[in-house]
Amino acid sequence: METLPNECLLEIFNNLRAYHKSLFSCLLVNRFWCRIIVPILWSEPGAHFNDKRLVKICLLALNAEEQALLIPFNIILPKKQINLLFEYTKYITSVDYDYLTQGIEKYYNNSIDDRCVDYIIIRAVKCSLALMFLRSSEGLNYLNFVGNIYNEIIFIEKLRKNTSITSLRLSNSHLKDKTLDDIFNKSVNLISLKLSGNQLTPKMEEKL
Amino acid sequence: MDNGTSNSASENETITLKSCDGIEFHIDARIANRYTLLNNWNGGESACIPNVNGKVLEKVLEWCEHHINDPQLNCGDDDSRRRNTIIEEWDENFLSCDQDMLFEIILAANYLEIKPLLDLGCKTVANMMKSKSPEEIRSAFNIDNDYTPEEEEQFRKENEWAEDY
Repeated sequence: METLPNECLLEIFNNLRAYHKSLFSCLLVNRFWCRIIVPILWSEPGAHFNDKRLVKICLLALNAEEQALLIPFNIILPKKQINLLFEYTKYITSVDYDYLTQGIEKYYNNSIDDRCVDYIIIRAVKCSLALMFLRSSEGLNYLNFVGNIYNEIIFIEKLRKNTSITSLRLSNSHLKDKTLDDIFNKSVNLISLKLSGNQLTPKMEEKL
Repeated sequence: MDNGTSNSASENETITLKSCDGIEFHIDARIANRYTLLNNWNGGESACIPNVNGKVLEKVLEWCEHHINDPQLNCGDDDSRRRNTIIEEWDENFLSCDQDMLFEIILAANYLEIKPLLDLGCKTVANMMKSKSPEEIRSAFNIDNDYTPEEEEQFRKENEWAEDY
């Protein structure tokens, strides 16, 4: 096995792209393998976004600005005991809030004792995480965001700066026409913008 | 689509290839036409393929011969091939060799740019890893664990979301 060059190992592990459990075993084999496997494992977590353990790692990747947006809500973030071994979120290419929302709800329902986590908290965490993905996930090409976007201005700004995203889906975001117009016109590489549950004016519908 | 039979070489035409340890193989010229690097070494008596010994070259050529009429895939088909880990019965039997030979075949296919054989070898190794624990994989492929216990534990925790399925 040691005789195989990196490109062959990459090819081997690419075959396991859809088998997260197998990739998990492989990355624990040795240090060399893990450097090849982490980018593959983290590229498309898919339905695993509903796992609170994955949400915890994503929350640990929030920077000071993204954390600061959560201060008004008194949100408890996971404690960073030691630095993460990798910048995992850097490798994420696709984020689906249909799953991530469930993961965030699970994370907060279980970590705050006897306290009903309200919708406002979940919404704020969802938005800070979206900003983090737009900033840190270098190859992010698909984002499906579900729900209201808290702090639209920053969201649009980060989206504008992101040069990798090609496909954006917004469900029930209830954004204004002007905001949608900004998203549509200012995003560098966006080729697909899908909206559902948004009330569009006829003018905007015509444009899209 | 080019099905391999439309190559300019005729069915009876043969060429000679020599392995790095001097063993000669007379093969159907259509095989060499299909894989550019094999064709490059079709240079008469002195031409030999460096880095690939006779035992491995024999296996590689056996595979090429069996698949001589396969449709040739375009580069764009890469992704669909990669995501499908199903292996045909003949290929499975062909690669049921010892591990050293399997890795030699992968190395040769990589070196000679025989992409479908490289994919097949990589799929076979990937399938050998499925449903195994890290320890089982280390033991199957004779790999040393160079993690410290603390590091391994931290890796496990940071990636444990992938552990279930």
